[in-house]
Amino acid sequence: MEYSILLQELKNKFENSILSVDETADIFTITIASEAVKEMITFLKEQQNFIFLTDLCGIHYPDQEKELGVIYHLHNLVANKRIRLKTFVSKENPQIVSIVSVFSGANWMERETFDFYGIDFVGHPNLIRILNVEYMDYFPMRKEYPLEDATRSDKDDRFFGR
Amino acid sequence: MKTINSEHHLDLTKEDEKVYSTLNLGPTHPATHGIFQNVLTMNGETIVSAEQTIGYIHRAFEKIAERRPYYQITTLTDRLNYCSSPLNNIGWHLAVEKLLGVETNKRIDYMRIIVMELARISDHLICNSVIGVDSGALTGFVYLFEEREKIYEIYEELCGARLTTNLGVVGGFDRDFSPIAIQKIRDLMNGLPKVLHEFENLLMRNRIFMDRTINVGAISADRALNYGFTGPCLRAAGVDYDVRVQEPYSSYNDFDFIVPIGQNGDTYDRFCVRQTELWESIKLVTNALDNLPEGKFNTEVPAFFMPPKEDVYSKMEPLISHFKMVMGEIDVPTKEIYKAVEGANGELGFYVVADGGRAPYRLHFRRPGFIYYQAFPEMITGASLSDAILTMSSMNVIAGELDA
Repeated sequence: MEYSILLQELKNKFENSILSVDETADIFTITIASEAVKEMITFLKEQQNFIFLTDLCGIHYPDQEKELGVIYHLHNLVANKRIRLKTFVSKENPQIVSIVSVFSGANWMERETFDFYGIDFVGHPNLIRILNVEYMDYFPMRKEYPLEDATRSDKDDRFFGR
Repeated sequence: MKTINSEHHLDLTKEDEKVYSTLNLGPTHPATHGIFQNVLTMNGETIVSAEQTIGYIHRAFEKIAERRPYYQITTLTDRLNYCSSPLNNIGWHLAVEKLLGVETNKRIDYMRIIVMELARISDHLICNSVIGVDSGALTGFVYLFEEREKIYEIYEELCGARLTTNLGVVGGFDRDFSPIAIQKIRDLMNGLPKVLHEFENLLMRNRIFMDRTINVGAISADRALNYGFTGPCLRAAGVDYDVRVQEPYSSYNDFDFIVPIGQNGDTYDRFCVRQTELWESIKLVTNALDNLPEGKFNTEVPAFFMPPKEDVYSKMEPLISHFKMVMGEIDVPTKEIYKAVEGANGELGFYVVADGGRAPYRLHFRRPGFIYYQAFPEMITGASLSDAILTMSSMNVIAGELDA
């Protein structure tokens, strides 16, 4: 299976949803429109043998118009080819269709992405926080929550036993 | 014929109103070997459904990693699957090397294989002996712990630490294998086969053990793939996916080893797959040690190579590079990579997005245990409580990795 053939087939089917293609990356990378995620993953799984969802995670680029991203890594175990799909949504409308019905394993990965980035996976059976406490009211992996500066000096060392 | 008192007449139409009992398995239960909670709905002895709660030891590794220089993230990987820390350490080093485009020599590769396979042995020893414990055979566990102790002594000899090893550096190792370390590895490889044989005699064809594990917690290959299983749990279901073979790293393609697979995906198959992998790992370690090439033990990647201390104290340039390295002020290319290694319990992946800064812009750990543990309710529905305990221990879910 060649990526060029795969790309051609994807272009035939999802002409308007493919936003950019990066063939220089370590894994063949396609950036797609968020509306097409489920159809494309279903197509890749059922028609192109990408039967294994390796990974699903979120990312946040505060400077982009569509700030939040979700990255899918799929693996064709037969031909041993990997593919990376990226999709971006805005912070105000972070909706992406859930792929739990395609890959059961996406359940917790989507919950984790929701937990840390606040991406709303539409159609997810149980979209609640998974690693953080339920009453947390923000999404901690977003870039507007920087970790504490290790060099800050406004702490009173007496309170920390130092 | 049975006569039924009309007053206590069992009305079968009222079956639906049956009251199930709820059983809290965990968060701190000695049989769960870690902090996981499972709220089980029980119909007598049978599990009707299970609801999992995880995250009790979540430590925000991915967030912390966004502030840390690359070399300091190694200590975070220690704490993922802490039964086989060196494997995670080397996996992370391989990921950074892929990011930097560094090629290592054969000696480093073989040294890494020795360390990684030792880690796999120690992980599998724990997991399989704990399956024994949960089925009522404590002896094997106590017996195998002595062997694990020897592996920890080897770690100690290689890097000074035992559990959270922080072993190696980006580009190889920070010191060569000492003669004592090599002797200890040889001694272990000579002694382990006898111990493993005894352990297998104890359990492998033991009628009680087989009755307790065969067809317990089974999952089909199809469902396992759908759930994203990797490692021994996937191979037990009959899929021969092993990252060491599929995408060979660290010169694994120089070696001849078998990838064992099971048929039913049940607890017994998982046990047997791990047991066979132990033998393969022994072969790999012995082969790598016998054929250990000459060469440097460190590639001396400029940004990550710690100069020798005597140079740091006496020369200007080593002092500067030492300082820059320790402070993490180094240049990395702006790109993103995914690097996977075969961890002891599955495909351990590192997705690194680098923006050229001192720390990764985004680092995601693909933690095999986190992904396949979600199949647990499906695997135990309809089973009894004691089967659920066995299923969980045979899945080799490690709390540190689960919660990141």
